[in-house]
Amino acid sequence: MLGFDGATKRFGSVTALDGCTFAARPGRLTGFLGPNGAGKTTAMRAVFGLVELDAGTVRWQGRPVTAAERVRFGYMPEERGLYPRMRVRDQLVYLGQLCGRGAKDVGRSVDGWLERLGLAGRAADRLDALSHGNQQRVQLIAALVGDPALLVLDEPFAGLDPIAIGAMGELLSDAAAGGVTVLFSSHQLDLVEDLCQDVVIIDHGRVVLAGELAELRAKVPQRSVDIRYRGPAPDWSGLAPVELVEARDGQARLRAGPDTDLAAVLAGAQDRADIVSFAYQPPTLSELFRQAVAA
Amino acid sequence: MNGLRQGWLVTKRELRERARSRAFLASVALMVVTVAAMLIIPAVLKPDGTKDIGLTGRAPATLAATIQQQADAAGLTARIQLYARLAAGEQAVRQGYVDVLVAGAQQLEWQGRADQQLKTVLTGAIQLVTVRERAAAAGLRPEAAAALLAPVPVSSVELGHVTGRSPADETAVIVMTGVLFFCISIFGAMVLNGVLEEKASRVVEVLLARIPARALLAGKIAGIGLLGLAQIAATALAALMAVTTVGSIAIPAIRGGVLAWAVVWFVLGYALYATVYGALGSLGSRAEDAQAVAGPVMVLLPVAYFASFFMITQPASAAARAISYFPLTAPFAMPGRIAMGATTWWEPALAVVLTLGTIIGLVQLAGRLYTGAILHSGPALSLKQAWVSTTTVGPGSGPAGARAPKALRHGARALAGRRTTMTTTGPNSHRLLITMLTGIGIALGVTVAVLTSDVIIGVIAGAGFIGIANMMVRLWTGHPGPPLAHH
Repeated sequence: MLGFDGATKRFGSVTALDGCTFAARPGRLTGFLGPNGAGKTTAMRAVFGLVELDAGTVRWQGRPVTAAERVRFGYMPEERGLYPRMRVRDQLVYLGQLCGRGAKDVGRSVDGWLERLGLAGRAADRLDALSHGNQQRVQLIAALVGDPALLVLDEPFAGLDPIAIGAMGELLSDAAAGGVTVLFSSHQLDLVEDLCQDVVIIDHGRVVLAGELAELRAKVPQRSVDIRYRGPAPDWSGLAPVELVEARDGQARLRAGPDTDLAAVLAGAQDRADIVSFAYQPPTLSELFRQAVAA
Repeated sequence: MNGLRQGWLVTKRELRERARSRAFLASVALMVVTVAAMLIIPAVLKPDGTKDIGLTGRAPATLAATIQQQADAAGLTARIQLYARLAAGEQAVRQGYVDVLVAGAQQLEWQGRADQQLKTVLTGAIQLVTVRERAAAAGLRPEAAAALLAPVPVSSVELGHVTGRSPADETAVIVMTGVLFFCISIFGAMVLNGVLEEKASRVVEVLLARIPARALLAGKIAGIGLLGLAQIAATALAALMAVTTVGSIAIPAIRGGVLAWAVVWFVLGYALYATVYGALGSLGSRAEDAQAVAGPVMVLLPVAYFASFFMITQPASAAARAISYFPLTAPFAMPGRIAMGATTWWEPALAVVLTLGTIIGLVQLAGRLYTGAILHSGPALSLKQAWVSTTTVGPGSGPAGARAPKALRHGARALAGRRTTMTTTGPNSHRLLITMLTGIGIALGVTVAVLTSDVIIGVIAGAGFIGIANMMVRLWTGHPGPPLAHH
């Protein structure tokens, strides 16, 4: 369990973290969200002692993180970087040894990861001979070589193609299933919604929303009704108690409450248009995010 | 997992990766071949020592024989050719048949510049036969003349302050000091570039999440140092083999104690300056910043080196004592004072303690600068920003920079070539500071000149101080500063 407890950090007049308090639980994927400049990178750097907090602490298993624990954590910084002219396998073994693991032990797990990510044939190549996507894979292995109990990844999905995104997501889910605590930041909210069990949203260095994603969605009173239809756009205005949020060709989203009479709404909709699909659901993560950050 | 073991891993990586690089292997090979060639070629090309000498005109009968004797004594073989007429002899000189023509035992005629060794031999021989002739004319018996002319042996011995001291010690120490200067320049620059490489490739954030900056820097310095030592050892071995093969240079007999101290100071000197290079390297963020951030040490290093030459002329003076204690100059000055026997036992020990303390302090300081400056990727940091950034950094630099939107940061990097003023020190107070430091530098130069009664040393001291002070101010504030030439 990773815990932030009142973490505060100021850079001159700018407050990057302002009493930031939340937890990431083992065996789960926690999405760390927030607009640009919200303090995500600073918070992640604080886990590794790269930023000294002005106040508050970062805890691991309830106690302040020690240097000995820290070396075993996996970290993928937002600014990716490894030695460009070093051979892939040598580089990963070196980083694994820095975590305190023996060379042979690290060598075996590095070979395993290279195999799994389809890089076994590139082990003896220099890093700069690899494509961008493959370099990203090596960077991910660099975060995993310490056999970490905690993985902190800053924008791990940025710059990946859809297939690589799928592979990365699967890998993180597997790690979590193995009991690892995984905290990652992302701006791709659909992806976070698919992958994560928990989310933490911060803004101006403060936590504005945190918890289990399903619970957070259920707790919000608003529900949305998504309708797809054939034919010309009808007039939705008389369809009380729902109100129109947005309408495009063949699609409309209406806002509803938790105990709206759905049958009446559906009947009303069918009177106005040739309905193809009708969905009643809690708000998406994007909507939660926008509300939380705007508040 | 402790810092020591991690530092050793860093050292091993430096050794393995650098020893594997073709550029390094080529530079080692080049150095070994160059040094061996420098020792072998002159020995092989050395002339055989046979000189052709023409004689013409009236001369004492014994001149030819005396020239032979004198030439033998000087290690030359003289072949003598007699010419009946002056013109024929001069023709032979012009055509290169003979090296020199001795005309009438009073004039030496050369084709070009006089061969100094041959000239000494011939002048000596002419003097000898002429004086003998005059002695005979004055009625002296040949034995009496010989006794009169017998050379008086005058030998010279340097006692110094201690017994057992040899000039070879000094030569060896001067060579070692030169090699130290050379090594610091080369390997210090490698440390600087290594730090910049890690910053430019951004691998440093991955590393610093796992290892303290102190261990990273110390490991890097040790790795490059060991590699440098191996390079020097290979070169020295090649030189030794070349010398023993051709026998061109006599290996000086050096006292073991002097040699041991020279090695100790070599290691200390390298460690000290490499730490300075590493700390300065952490202020830059790209390979192109190397020149800008290395400025102070590139001025400081030659000044410290030349200060040691000044010391050699007056090893027992107060000034020499001071520079052999001062940690930045001690590695250059102390070995020489030890070799000249100008130290008591506790002086080198004290200087070692001072220097070691400075190295430990510098590693701590450099570690702090490293951690503060390392997460920064914009324009070269000022020393002040790096120092305070562990607690406070302005937006757009240091860790706070990461909070700015990506596009902004890319913009900042595009502008990185441009020096930006990011300091509260206004241009006016900056100019005042520079002017004050220049004044202090001039005063220092004049004082040193008066104390040492040597204008050149005074000018070097003053100019060195002004140069270093000016660069430190610039690095500290990040302000480009007015060029000194404008004053």
